[in-house]
Amino acid sequence: MTIQKTSLHEEHIILNAKMAPFAGFDMPLQYSSVKEEVLAVRNHAGVFDVSHMGEFFVEGSDAIKFVDFLITNDFKNADILKAVYSPLCRDNGTVIDDLIAYKLAEDRVLICVNASNIQKDWEWISSKVSNFKCTISNQSADYSLLALQGPESEKIMRELGIIKAVDFPYYSILETTINNEKLIVARSGYTGEDGFEIFSSHAYAKSLWKKLLSIGVKPCGLAARDVLRLEVCYPLYGHELNDEVTPLDAGLGWTVKLGKDAFVGKSALSEYKPRLQLVKLSLERGIPREGYEVLDSNNNVIGKVTSGTMSVVTGKGIAMALIQQDKICKDKKYVINIRNTKYEANFHSKAFIKGGHK
Amino acid sequence: MTQKIPVELKYTKDHEWAKVSGDTAVIGITDFAQSALGDIVFVELPEMGKALTAHQSFGVVESIKSVSDLYSPVSGAVIEVNSGLLDTPELCNAEPYGNAWMIKVKLSNTQELNSLLSASEYEKFLSSL
Repeated sequence: MTIQKTSLHEEHIILNAKMAPFAGFDMPLQYSSVKEEVLAVRNHAGVFDVSHMGEFFVEGSDAIKFVDFLITNDFKNADILKAVYSPLCRDNGTVIDDLIAYKLAEDRVLICVNASNIQKDWEWISSKVSNFKCTISNQSADYSLLALQGPESEKIMRELGIIKAVDFPYYSILETTINNEKLIVARSGYTGEDGFEIFSSHAYAKSLWKKLLSIGVKPCGLAARDVLRLEVCYPLYGHELNDEVTPLDAGLGWTVKLGKDAFVGKSALSEYKPRLQLVKLSLERGIPREGYEVLDSNNNVIGKVTSGTMSVVTGKGIAMALIQQDKICKDKKYVINIRNTKYEANFHSKAFIKGGHK
Repeated sequence: MTQKIPVELKYTKDHEWAKVSGDTAVIGITDFAQSALGDIVFVELPEMGKALTAHQSFGVVESIKSVSDLYSPVSGAVIEVNSGLLDTPELCNAEPYGNAWMIKVKLSNTQELNSLLSASEYEKFLSSL
């Protein structure tokens, strides 16, 4: 497979970013220091090139009905110009991908999917569309996507004139035209902070990227993005979510609306008894990493770390782990095996930090 | 990028350095290593007295996103450990050749020193990467 480049690839090289292949794209892992990039997003503003992600458009009178049928979360009752996060499941309830669906109009929906799953999602969605009055198109190659994240994002978006509406709450979207460029702007992101995602032409993305950097916004890479989403316990496909688990195994019960009309996976998920449970653990010393064993206080292996890192904000090792449902520790005394040393973990019922988004 | 490579030290292709005096050597990671790893947030070092074999792992250094083994340039017993580094791993980025030294080893085979790289050989190696 040839490695793909985003429209901003040249900019990343100019900035001397540490590059690595991710989902078939040569992507920036970090520019300066992961710590500084994380802190920029938590305290000020940072910008990510996430153009590798996929964009599908669903258009036609059944567009909303079709997307509501495809995903487990409620899309039908969402307001126009709102976004909805949801798993995309198979008939047996296992997760194909997690995505954000943007309700642009009664007859037009944008679906943003993970780069690593574009082909798989496209084939799945194509296989389901025939009974609906709508067409689907994969426009992933036509769109660049920048994510401006951090508490100063709103001020910046207003100064640039991209956002004019007085009220533009979290998970809202708008379509706007600036200098003859059509943009889709969403108040969303995957960092836990306030922020915006801007879908645009490649040329506009390049000019916006340069503009943001010129006013002091920090370029941030995928390494910082992973730490940010893990600190607020957002799942990532390929880690907490995969082809083998259902949303109910991975702590995403809140995104499965069994009361809504027929949707893919409804009957399987209605009867499903979760096999796994997602837990959040931190360590006073040591850094949990993906694949490390999780044990109970009697030394039985009961699960595995799905994502782990050092939290920049708390300074502690943090992890999400999938534990076998029948072996969940009632005493909440979990242990993580790091290079054959057992570390007692702190159990967290909430995310490691509370993000600042409104 | 230019890397600091002090002339008085010996180096390995695993990016560790050794400062040899008599039959002991102080060991750490190079400027290139710390720069490639990024923010170092965790260090794991061996116990005092542990017998090390050249090119085998003696500890671990972790950045936010990665775990890397530390490989001993020489064989011998650990006679000092920079345990302060465990609480200040960021020193590895700031002072890789100074306060971020890791262990001191009593050499069991001084012949091994001949196979270590000089500063100019290490510099040549880096430019070949």
